[in-house]
Amino acid sequence: MSASILDNQANPAKPCQTRVVFQSIKLDHFRLISNVAMIRLVWIFCTLLFSIQAKSADRVDYERQVKPIFRQRCNACHGGLKQKAKLRLDTAKTILSGGDGGPAIVPGHADESLMMERLLETDKALRMPPEGSPLTPEQIQTLKTWINQGAESPKTEAPETDPLKHWAFQLPVRAQLPSVTATSSSQHPIDRLIDAQLATKGLARQPRAEPQVLIRRLYLDLTGLPPTRQELQAYLKNPSDQAYEQIVDQLLASPRHGERWARHWMDVWRYSDWYGRRSVPDVLNSYGQIWRWRDWIIQSLNQDRGYDTMVKAMLAADEISPEKREEQVATGFLVRNFYRWNYSLWLKDNVEHTGKAFLAMTFNCAHCHDHKYDPIKNDDYFAFRAVFEPMEIRHDRMPGEPDPGPYPTYDYGKAYKPITSGLVRVFDKNLDAKTFAYSKGESRNIIEGRPPIAPGFPDFLGGKPFSVKPVKLPREVGFPGIQAFIRLEEIQSREKALAEAENHWNATRLEAENLQKTSKSPPSPLITLRLKQDEAAKAAALADLASIHARIDADEAKQKFAGPEAQARALLAAQAEKWLAVQNSGLALVRSELVHHQASLKSAAEAAKAAPKLATAQKAYDLACADLKKIDSKQPAYSPLSPTYPDSSTGRRAALAGWIASPTNPLTARVAVNHIWRWHFGTPLVASTSDFGRNGSRPTNPELLDWLAQELMHPSGAGTQPWSMKALHRLIVTSETYCIKSEPDSPTAPGLKLDPGNKLYWHFPRNRMEAEVVRDSLLHVSGMLDTTSGGPDIDLAQGLVSHRRSLYFTHHGESRMPFLEIFDAPDACDAYKRTTSVVPQQALAMVNNEFLLGLSQNLAEKLWAETSAKPVEDFLKASFETILTRPPKAAELKLAQDFLAHQARVIESESSASSAAPRPAHQSEALARRDLIHALFSHNDFLTIH
Amino acid sequence: MAHQSRRPAGIGPPCGRIARRTFLSDVGLGFTGLALGSMLHRDGIVRANDSEVWSPPTGQPHFQPKTKSIIWIFLSGGVSQLETWDPKPALNKHAGKSYEATGLPNPFKSPLFAERSRDVVGGARLHAKIFPLQVGFKKYGRCGVEISDWWPNLATCVDDIAFVRSMYSTDNDHNAEFQMHHGRHKLDEKQPVIGSWIHYALGTLNENLPQFIFLGKYTDPRVKENFAADYLGPQYGGVEIGLDPKNPLPFGNRAKGVAARQQENEFKFIHQMNTISSVEYPDDDQLRARIKSYELAYKMQGSIPEVVDITGETPETQSLYGIDNEQTATYGRRLLAARRLAERGVRFSLVYLSDYGEWDSHVELQKRHSQCCSRVDKPIAGLLKDLKRRGLSDDVTVVCCTEFGRTPGLEIRDNVALTATGRDHHPHAFTIWMAGAGIKPGVVHGATDELGFHAIEHPHYVTDIHATVLNLLGLDPKRLDIPGRKRLEIDYGSPIHQIMA
Repeated sequence: MSASILDNQANPAKPCQTRVVFQSIKLDHFRLISNVAMIRLVWIFCTLLFSIQAKSADRVDYERQVKPIFRQRCNACHGGLKQKAKLRLDTAKTILSGGDGGPAIVPGHADESLMMERLLETDKALRMPPEGSPLTPEQIQTLKTWINQGAESPKTEAPETDPLKHWAFQLPVRAQLPSVTATSSSQHPIDRLIDAQLATKGLARQPRAEPQVLIRRLYLDLTGLPPTRQELQAYLKNPSDQAYEQIVDQLLASPRHGERWARHWMDVWRYSDWYGRRSVPDVLNSYGQIWRWRDWIIQSLNQDRGYDTMVKAMLAADEISPEKREEQVATGFLVRNFYRWNYSLWLKDNVEHTGKAFLAMTFNCAHCHDHKYDPIKNDDYFAFRAVFEPMEIRHDRMPGEPDPGPYPTYDYGKAYKPITSGLVRVFDKNLDAKTFAYSKGESRNIIEGRPPIAPGFPDFLGGKPFSVKPVKLPREVGFPGIQAFIRLEEIQSREKALAEAENHWNATRLEAENLQKTSKSPPSPLITLRLKQDEAAKAAALADLASIHARIDADEAKQKFAGPEAQARALLAAQAEKWLAVQNSGLALVRSELVHHQASLKSAAEAAKAAPKLATAQKAYDLACADLKKIDSKQPAYSPLSPTYPDSSTGRRAALAGWIASPTNPLTARVAVNHIWRWHFGTPLVASTSDFGRNGSRPTNPELLDWLAQELMHPSGAGTQPWSMKALHRLIVTSETYCIKSEPDSPTAPGLKLDPGNKLYWHFPRNRMEAEVVRDSLLHVSGMLDTTSGGPDIDLAQGLVSHRRSLYFTHHGESRMPFLEIFDAPDACDAYKRTTSVVPQQALAMVNNEFLLGLSQNLAEKLWAETSAKPVEDFLKASFETILTRPPKAAELKLAQDFLAHQARVIESESSASSAAPRPAHQSEALARRDLIHALFSHNDFLTIH
Repeated sequence: MAHQSRRPAGIGPPCGRIARRTFLSDVGLGFTGLALGSMLHRDGIVRANDSEVWSPPTGQPHFQPKTKSIIWIFLSGGVSQLETWDPKPALNKHAGKSYEATGLPNPFKSPLFAERSRDVVGGARLHAKIFPLQVGFKKYGRCGVEISDWWPNLATCVDDIAFVRSMYSTDNDHNAEFQMHHGRHKLDEKQPVIGSWIHYALGTLNENLPQFIFLGKYTDPRVKENFAADYLGPQYGGVEIGLDPKNPLPFGNRAKGVAARQQENEFKFIHQMNTISSVEYPDDDQLRARIKSYELAYKMQGSIPEVVDITGETPETQSLYGIDNEQTATYGRRLLAARRLAERGVRFSLVYLSDYGEWDSHVELQKRHSQCCSRVDKPIAGLLKDLKRRGLSDDVTVVCCTEFGRTPGLEIRDNVALTATGRDHHPHAFTIWMAGAGIKPGVVHGATDELGFHAIEHPHYVTDIHATVLNLLGLDPKRLDIPGRKRLEIDYGSPIHQIMA
């Protein structure tokens, strides 16, 4: 193992659009100085410092000062990736030998050097670099000085490597595991790979963590919830490897596991509820009912469906398993990027995030030009986009739910409420959709004369040959209205309505007959009208039932027969619908008559008021009757039970899915295991989790990354399914590497010097709970967590009211729950990596939080009830074990006892000072216990996963 | 010690780790070396591939600053440049004519039109006929700057203001509002907003208060994009505070029934327990930061209510801001609070001086704009006068801006039955102004064409305002770059030196 891994070296210049990572304590506050004098002083000092630096730069250092300039500004075109004008600037040797225009520099003579001429050129068309601002005067000066000083460079200088040979573009290889005896005492493959690397640095891993630390880590990792006190005690009684493994299995089988890990994947797959203009409401981004995709993720993880299967379904469930209705919601991955105002943006986001999420490739960088670091051409970008070009959104009906209606096409100026039933998915609508290249990232700038670009993927990622096979879709996909459940539900609802109408009519008739019996006079106009109304309602319900049967017949005939038969059925259906319209308007007319009559009973003026409505109803009825005769018998128009969609799909996305979720794709498995690893350990093996390209980071332990990738795809355990994530979780958490202490065992631990960033995992990387884990754990520890799973997103305002898990609350590109946001819940649009901050707002959110105070009270009462017959130490011990998953230390016990006593006195004296009736002592003591529980939630050991 | 600087580079333990001894001595000793927000920004490792070793900002300006604090007033919806600060009598002359019929070059055919507009929303938007000015203009002050009659109070301040009449943006819809704050078009990747960059770059002037504050009310959650730190991390986002001293910030008050002493005791207990932990985990930098964060939280909770409590201000001062008048009271309070925040060292206050979209006058422009003006004229003028008389205009810079201007032509929408009495969105020209510390008083910079359609003389994209503000604070935006986050030339902007003193 070379030292280069620690240095994390290589790779040129500025990366493009990846999450920033850095680790530091930032001292960004300096006490303010009311007068400006201090600032002036600092300024003078800085100026001095700069001038000193300038002087010390007398001798220009090629490696340190010159090379970075080329790397940053020149090598994308004159280096390993491209050699424009046959010129390479990645080594001093090739700078000297030059390109088409001859040597780029003349050592000792900057003024005669072609390179300087091009850099200083005032004509923008000729100036280098052609894009962005010119080099700064300081950079120019550096180059000039270097040349004038003789253009010295180290004797051995390696050129940039061939981009195609970049590590991530080669298939992962399962390395021979290092021998056990040489470096590692563990048989576990992960330990052997980790230990081997540690050994090269003269490091050894830390000893195993204490059982209570380990068990808490494990529970929080696999389920997002700490162990209960009982679970802790059970493990402490028997902290054997066997017991540990049993717990692992039990946690992986828990429904809570899928919820925890769904939240992880939802970051990378950019889960978002609909947004845009929520206050209107108007759906612009993502879509209503997308929560079904969230639930699909949870269920899929709980069922341990293969990662490959999940990826395929998210990209192309409609082409791969079109017959499975529930599976279609997986395409929420694509729906999530939907942007109603601009379809081009939808496609753009799908290219970018499919690339980043599954391949950790920044295809988006090739939107306007060839990629600056990776061998992705501008045309490759459009070929990727072409895969999505035919797409559109549609709503599908779900059994037992109202029809969400057809998807409304966009009309400028209209607002679109979210659908609240059914499912949302994508499908290929425009089967011959063409993709045209445009310039400058602006979709209106279509480049004229360029033929359309066919779907495809770059060769260097095994994207060729790219074969697209159109998919024939089942009948019920092209025409969902023929599904039995829809017909049945439609018929049943009408039968029910008819029965109700009949009952109603019968009741009115009975009432009229009884009236008739007791009265000699003829029936009143009121009862006559009411009878007439109920009869009309019955007739309308009957017509409705008849029309649904006729429509179903017509739908069926259209599927089965062509020509006259289908036409005849359609005519019948059209007639039935018109007849229904007549009946409905007839009913409306009788109702108006009734209203008018009732008004006339009050006064002539009231009657006059009701008259226009009656007239309108009469007109509508006449129109409906007239309309009955206006049926085009040649092309009868009736309402089918659903819209009709294409009966085939292009197969483009299925081809994409097949290429991505394949063992022959060098990136997919590596990207997945890198995510999985970082969610277990807090730090990834490849720091740039969404960029494995040449501008990304190198893996800190490439052998381990590759071994894990191979293990995911081709598990070595007998009976383990390929791509099983649960198997990988099990493997990771049963490694010794996972079980070690987080705190170095000695202040002189060599790792503190040799690997302070812990890149080699010599100790477990300690971290704070993620936002959702904080909230869920507060609820769980208090015994108040509502474990109901799934369903529509819960309003954010319920965040500190509802006891459901955090991932079920509305989370979208414009809002997240404030409490979670304070604890760094990420933006739904940018969560490839999360950050962890420690800010005072978090302290306030814990301390001044009535919800948490309520939970504390609940827990305090519960624990007191369990322990009150015993000394107060037992209550304190129970509190520590419940909240911090460990017993209190002696000093803590003493402190807590003092606090309880003191707090009770404070509460008592405050209450006697503020109210007429002082609180009885037992109340003050109970409040003190609540405050103790509440304070323990602010203990570092609660928020921290050691 | 007058100020607390960072550890000089190269001295002490790497990666910001604190030496064990220092650590233990810090704990429990109050504010020694560590500071708020510092707190931690931890999520992995620096991409060590960069050409130069990256280090976070030092908290000190890059060069001599000219101001300490910014009060950034935003008027949402699109203020018509034509009825406020950029008079165009030609509109009256050509009223009712088509652009062609004016005899002037057709602004739609100017290359500037295509260059500066990028539609997000489709649909043809017609404003073919010139709409005359809806208000009169006069010259004011010694400088003789012309502004509209709807600003009787601001008119008395023009000698202190620098107007920039040549602003443009590129989005013809309201996402331009967010663009004004982070500099990126809706269709491009977002960036941190100007307030967050400042918070990120500069040390605090008062560690009991957040450095970047949002003052305003909104129902549309998109407004949050105006104070979102994006990739800088949530600790650099604007903190929303309310003007009710009883409830000024989220989780800012003790829960009901919790007495002050009771809470103080609990804070103390938390501190003691975490201090015990710090002995067990001396290498836990987050723990260290957490102990500090609780101390700061306690102080912040105590100091914010005082800041927003304006009852201590004299009736005269309150009246200066229009707080004694129902029509201007809400916005007056916001600006008075902004002054109090600036006085106490808050670096950047974003004062949202309207409802979301309040100025958006597709119809009835005359009625709407005159009302909008009357709600903010007195408060804004009051702020400028108050800063000046307190000598704060040497420390505080005021920016007043909007997302875009409005069309010289009358807006006609064919699909909606509107009475045509307004102007449509117009990103091609609008006016902003600045006043106070570091600003040249009584100047007009840049110009639009005769119809107020295109910014032609010294045109400025929105990030030039950011660059100007950063420059006044002694910051060079290029030196704030973070490895792994690509910023474009246009993100940095260029300071408008012509309006700087």
